[in-house]
Amino acid sequence: MQEKNSLGNTNIQQTLGSKVSRRDFLKMMAAVGAIAALPGNGLLRKGPGATVIPSTGYEGKDAYQVFHNACPRNCYDTCGILSYVKDGVLKFVEGDPASTFTRGGLCVKGYSYPRSVYSPDRIKYPMKQEGRGSGNWVRISWDEALDTIAKKILELKEQDGSLLGLGMTKYSGNFGITHYGVEGMMSSLGYTTRFVGTPCWPAGIDAQNFDMGNMWCNDPEDMVKSKYIIIWGANPCTNSIHSMKYINEAKRHGAKVVVIDPIFTQTAAKADEYWQIKPGGDGALALGMARHLLDKRLEDKAWLEENAEGYSEFASYLRREITLDWAAEQSGIPVESIKQITEEFAAVKPATIWLGYGLQRHVNGGANVRAIDAFVAMTGNIGKVGGGARYGHLFTWGFNYNALVQSAPEGSVGYTGKTGPMGEFDTGQSGDAASYTDRAFNINKIAQEIMDATEPPVRMLWVANKNVLSQDFDRNKIIEAFKKLDLIVAVDLFFNPTVEQADIVLPTTTLFEDWTVNVSYWHYWMSINEQAIAPMYETKSDIEIASALSAKINSLKAGSCTFPENIDSKEMMVKEFNDGIYSLFGINSWEDLKDGARKAKLASSASWSDNKFGTPSTKYEFKSSIAEEYGHTALVKYKEPREAYASYRLLTPHSKYGLHSQFQNLDWMLDYNPEPLAYIHPKLAREKGLVDGDTVRVYNKTGEVQLKVSVNDIVPADTILMYEGWYGQNNPFNVNILVDDESSDMGKYKTGAPGVAIHDQFAEIEKA
Amino acid sequence: MTRYAFSVNAELCIGCSSCGMACKNQNILDPGMVWRKLYPLSEEIYPHKDRAFYSLACNHCSQPACLEGCPVGAYTQREDGIVVHNEDVCIGCRNCLRNCPFGAPRYNEEEGHVEKCSMCWQRIDEGLLPACVQACPTNALTLVDLDVDDVSSTVQYPPGFPYRPDVEPSTRFVLPVAPKIIRRDV
Repeated sequence: MQEKNSLGNTNIQQTLGSKVSRRDFLKMMAAVGAIAALPGNGLLRKGPGATVIPSTGYEGKDAYQVFHNACPRNCYDTCGILSYVKDGVLKFVEGDPASTFTRGGLCVKGYSYPRSVYSPDRIKYPMKQEGRGSGNWVRISWDEALDTIAKKILELKEQDGSLLGLGMTKYSGNFGITHYGVEGMMSSLGYTTRFVGTPCWPAGIDAQNFDMGNMWCNDPEDMVKSKYIIIWGANPCTNSIHSMKYINEAKRHGAKVVVIDPIFTQTAAKADEYWQIKPGGDGALALGMARHLLDKRLEDKAWLEENAEGYSEFASYLRREITLDWAAEQSGIPVESIKQITEEFAAVKPATIWLGYGLQRHVNGGANVRAIDAFVAMTGNIGKVGGGARYGHLFTWGFNYNALVQSAPEGSVGYTGKTGPMGEFDTGQSGDAASYTDRAFNINKIAQEIMDATEPPVRMLWVANKNVLSQDFDRNKIIEAFKKLDLIVAVDLFFNPTVEQADIVLPTTTLFEDWTVNVSYWHYWMSINEQAIAPMYETKSDIEIASALSAKINSLKAGSCTFPENIDSKEMMVKEFNDGIYSLFGINSWEDLKDGARKAKLASSASWSDNKFGTPSTKYEFKSSIAEEYGHTALVKYKEPREAYASYRLLTPHSKYGLHSQFQNLDWMLDYNPEPLAYIHPKLAREKGLVDGDTVRVYNKTGEVQLKVSVNDIVPADTILMYEGWYGQNNPFNVNILVDDESSDMGKYKTGAPGVAIHDQFAEIEKA
Repeated sequence: MTRYAFSVNAELCIGCSSCGMACKNQNILDPGMVWRKLYPLSEEIYPHKDRAFYSLACNHCSQPACLEGCPVGAYTQREDGIVVHNEDVCIGCRNCLRNCPFGAPRYNEEEGHVEKCSMCWQRIDEGLLPACVQACPTNALTLVDLDVDDVSSTVQYPPGFPYRPDVEPSTRFVLPVAPKIIRRDV
């Protein structure tokens, strides 16, 4: 990290802390000599040629110090970033050109980063709130904040005899590997209550583990070789923009691209063919397609004979219980179309299906993923370059988790019941072999778990890398549950809805102010995240907070916390690397990443290319004993969707303008996405007497929201669409007021808790 | 000779808005100021709302109306065609806002001056692409040299874009294509 420059961060802080215009900013830079030298003004043809044109843009490559960063959000693309810093100020960002996946590009969110760093809305100091939700915030010192927190932890331990009354919930706000130090901080205090699992993709993870023995997708860059691509419930034009060039390239080479989705998404608009499937009808459709393969004898018999387990039983099931008419009825896709695409898909190799995460956010989501996997397997496309049932992978995540692995203080008492994995990234490592464990609660039912918890109840909650009130389910129930908590501590960048309900907020660093390393669950690149600028204000990283809390609590009572009291963020990052990572990526040292992102050296771009599967039989399992063990049918089978509980389907997918609740709050982003909207079909609009811009009430059993409508045929007439993650602008709108915490079918096996049926929701709509 | 222009391929454009934000990022625009943005095409041009776009900024016209009407010479045009606006000379009279048929110049209330897309001439002079072009993940937005590149498959005045041969906008377009659609019967 560079030393604090002559400009001194304080100046910038003072100036940027208030509302500052670009011109003020540039004047300030000019005052300290930062923009003394202006570049040439080109060759003038018209106008007064003598004018020197002031540059508010690019100042020439020599003007900047360039750092490597990595976007750590929960995103397929996990872009490597080049950060251009001048005089200690982050001036602009670009994509890392070393990555062939991003090719020097970011996205609408990534390019907004400089504004998030210098936003006047950033949380600058530790603060305490007198009355949750009151907005009555008072600045306090780090010492006071940590003292309050540490004393509460010691009180819980004293009163309960354990720290199970301390709960921690964290998810994907920052996937940098050192951020697992939040879990590490908890472990270093003792045995605590963890909200485990993932709201994102667990049903599909389990499904692919039952079928193949792991979740392991092909390199997305090999889609250029696909001759047929079905994008099923994924929307890369919004959520993985850098994948689109491979799909376009395949198209240029003659591949057909079909999108199956309840919504006419932007990706659907770019396909050759779009199918508007009934939500939750994915499994039925895939089974119908599988049945048609049988009828036409199009299955890859040789591959199945060699590599599959339980196939003949599956084939009998298809013949016995699945018809195309039934599949058409359940999915809304006509028989003729099902036949046509099945035959087209089977006629070429390689052919691939990209399974999105939306399609498994249903009560039958895992079963649906298994059915789609089965169709791909029957066509012999598993293990093929340009083929595969692509969902995601954790192949490149083999770090040390040094920040995560901490030992409980001597004498700690914890939970003695049976627990599973603590989330999808749980490597099974733990600090010691004690007979106690943490207490695992379902992350997707945080309200219910807090309400039901006894012996001891949860009385303190630590929230980091997560915006519970925006992203967790049944928001009104969460507010109720939080009343049971004595102390809520939130670590965050902005005053989001969770911070609004906290008692203490601790200001944290942006990715540009900290060291870490990032990999993706989709592509195979790794990027280092260098500290590019000094931490602004009084911000600290997650592990610096852990370290400071450790020092504080040990000063109050020695031996209370094992987390190192003095850490260096860079050294902590270095400790995450190991020979396995070096060898996988073909590097000698983490320092090689300073030259740019690196890609894993893959034996093949195809997963399972040797057809040796991770299942008990080492084959592709149409029939899985592990699935049965976890309460599912052993055989890939149809599972009923959730019954409607209101008149219209409510879908709340991701917006392109935010990564969950991050980015969308920035004033730069509001320029492109000024307010939330409910999208309804013209037919529904006519029935309800609604026109564009009308304000509506959308309500169901869990709550009510109000917002404006956009009348738009991208949605079916029985569906209401509104994008998740919105907060701010004094608008109480929040989609999770309408989303209950009903579980999806799978997730317990690999992530410790089932997922949540986010897209099995229903609502009424009326003019407000 | 060189005559730079933006080429906007609406068939390849995925509506991701990276171009617009890359511009704000590179040029450190004030909140509220937008030099480039996506204009969704009306349903008469493309059959579905919010699913096809023209990414538009300044069209760097050959006969720039902004420049012609500027009383203080805040606008200049380079030999390579880029129309550059000088905020320091601008008096904020907003003649250019009235004259530009495309709405490219924007008035910055707080600063009391106009500003607009510079085609990132500073980057071009260093052999780099404009920030918006570099940001485009599908090569839908490209920089072309009208004197050299073959733009015969593009159009200058696509539906929905003002027909103004008097100012000769340099931007070129490729029209969007809609997929075959199979809808549920509801």
